[in-house]
Amino acid sequence: MPEKLVVIGLDCVTPQLLYGNWLEEMPNVRRLIDDGFRANMVSTIPPITVPAWMSMMTSKDPGTLGMYGFRNRASHDYGDLFTVNSKYVKEKTVWNYLSRNRLRSIVMGIPLTYPPQPLNGLLVSSFLTPSKDVDYTYPPDLKHRLDEIAGGDYIIDVKEFRSDDKRQTLEQIYRMSRARFQAFRHLLRTEDWDFAIMVEMGPDRLHHAFWRFSDSEHRLHEPGNEFEDVIHQYYLYMDRELGETLDALPDDTSVIVVSDHGAKGMHGAVCINEYLIEEGLLSVKQYPDKPERLSTDNIDWNRTKVWGDGGYYARIFLNVQGREPKGQIPAAELGQFKRDLKERLEALPDENGNNIGTRVFFPEDIYTQCKGTPPDMIVYLGDLNWRSAGTIGNRTIHIFENDTGPDDANHAQEGVFLWANRGRPPASVEKVSIYDIAPSILDFYGIDVPEDMIGKVI
Amino acid sequence: MKNNKVTIKIPRPLYDKIQQLIEGSGFNSATDFIVFVLRDLMSESEATSSESDEFSPEELAALKKKLKNLGYL
Repeated sequence: MPEKLVVIGLDCVTPQLLYGNWLEEMPNVRRLIDDGFRANMVSTIPPITVPAWMSMMTSKDPGTLGMYGFRNRASHDYGDLFTVNSKYVKEKTVWNYLSRNRLRSIVMGIPLTYPPQPLNGLLVSSFLTPSKDVDYTYPPDLKHRLDEIAGGDYIIDVKEFRSDDKRQTLEQIYRMSRARFQAFRHLLRTEDWDFAIMVEMGPDRLHHAFWRFSDSEHRLHEPGNEFEDVIHQYYLYMDRELGETLDALPDDTSVIVVSDHGAKGMHGAVCINEYLIEEGLLSVKQYPDKPERLSTDNIDWNRTKVWGDGGYYARIFLNVQGREPKGQIPAAELGQFKRDLKERLEALPDENGNNIGTRVFFPEDIYTQCKGTPPDMIVYLGDLNWRSAGTIGNRTIHIFENDTGPDDANHAQEGVFLWANRGRPPASVEKVSIYDIAPSILDFYGIDVPEDMIGKVI
Repeated sequence: MKNNKVTIKIPRPLYDKIQQLIEGSGFNSATDFIVFVLRDLMSESEATSSESDEFSPEELAALKKKLKNLGYL
């Protein structure tokens, strides 16, 4: 029976690309599948990096975590937002349970681990770390070794990816990925560990920056462009990194490869606040001449019932009497108002008048509990084929370039999951839930699965 | 961030025992072990977000700049 488990997290790696035609050219991914099984992994609602990885590591939904994105409402006051960090994670992670059971972990690059908290092992924080000047590792002196073991420069995240300088973006992504894999392998070879996990952000940055160049179905695709093969080549590169990492493992180590969500082409963006203005639900004091972020200071609250936020999905907030400072929707009518708005949003058309298949979720229906101040509605515009643009000043509801920089991929609900050499016959599962992963890891080590984890052992 | 720590006294024999316990483990110091154990216990209670959980103004400024460059804001 294997005693060690390593998890390689590849942010945004998507089943249609990993399990598709390129699989033939990925001997290491194939080797893992042959030694175990592969499945689609159903992500959190919404399928975004924060909170998805932390939901995976705690088996708790975003409502229980009280994290609905990396920026959350702190109260029902307008514009009262906070940015999450590891100290807001009140639920126990896999490595908390392992530490308690005297098992040692290497944890590298999991989003929402800054500032680093003590554990039995090593931790390098990730995305949402302010800069490399801060203490972003546990123990703190690990930071001073990281650059060296990463081959010169450990890169927490690329500086930008929604840039027009595609060559530079691509070069940055490769430098970051190489450095992290190299540092991770060094730690695997030189440290004592029972459990090791790393998350690489590169595939996410790559999909967002290069999707249109690669996907011939994309509205903005130009055949024969110089970046046409970039995503394909990066998948083959990841396969080589996987192979080298497998070679760095002690014999008989169990291996999981997992992503936090998938990716798909973005048809365009729905300017959610433009839509709400057009519907007479949102009123602004000054409509800008050119697109700009909707500031809560610019909203005429006495004439506003609904406002929204941009991102890979839309967050909808309601201005409710007795809840928001200048609430407009009578509390007694809230239920009916929400049902009506859901129907209207689900009828949203594209620029040609065709329904785009929008899905609307109420946090109280999809989460086991709703801590903190959740959005009133979570909206998948066109079932995530469209993103949400929060800006106003566009003078239209549909736009085809992202309003916060070039981006032509959106997140998809399903990511990937492979488990090789688990020590028992492969389960015949087509789909696993993101919440199943933490209980399965604890079960691997013979630790009783806590009752409050919402997933099950795979 | 550096000055928001307090000193707590614990019995010497307990401290010595913790020192022994963490020897060869992945905990860096007795203090880190104690912080881990206390957080582990605390998170079982209905711990709510508090102001001290928020990023410092400097950290937040650096982060906002970063998120803006990444197109998240």
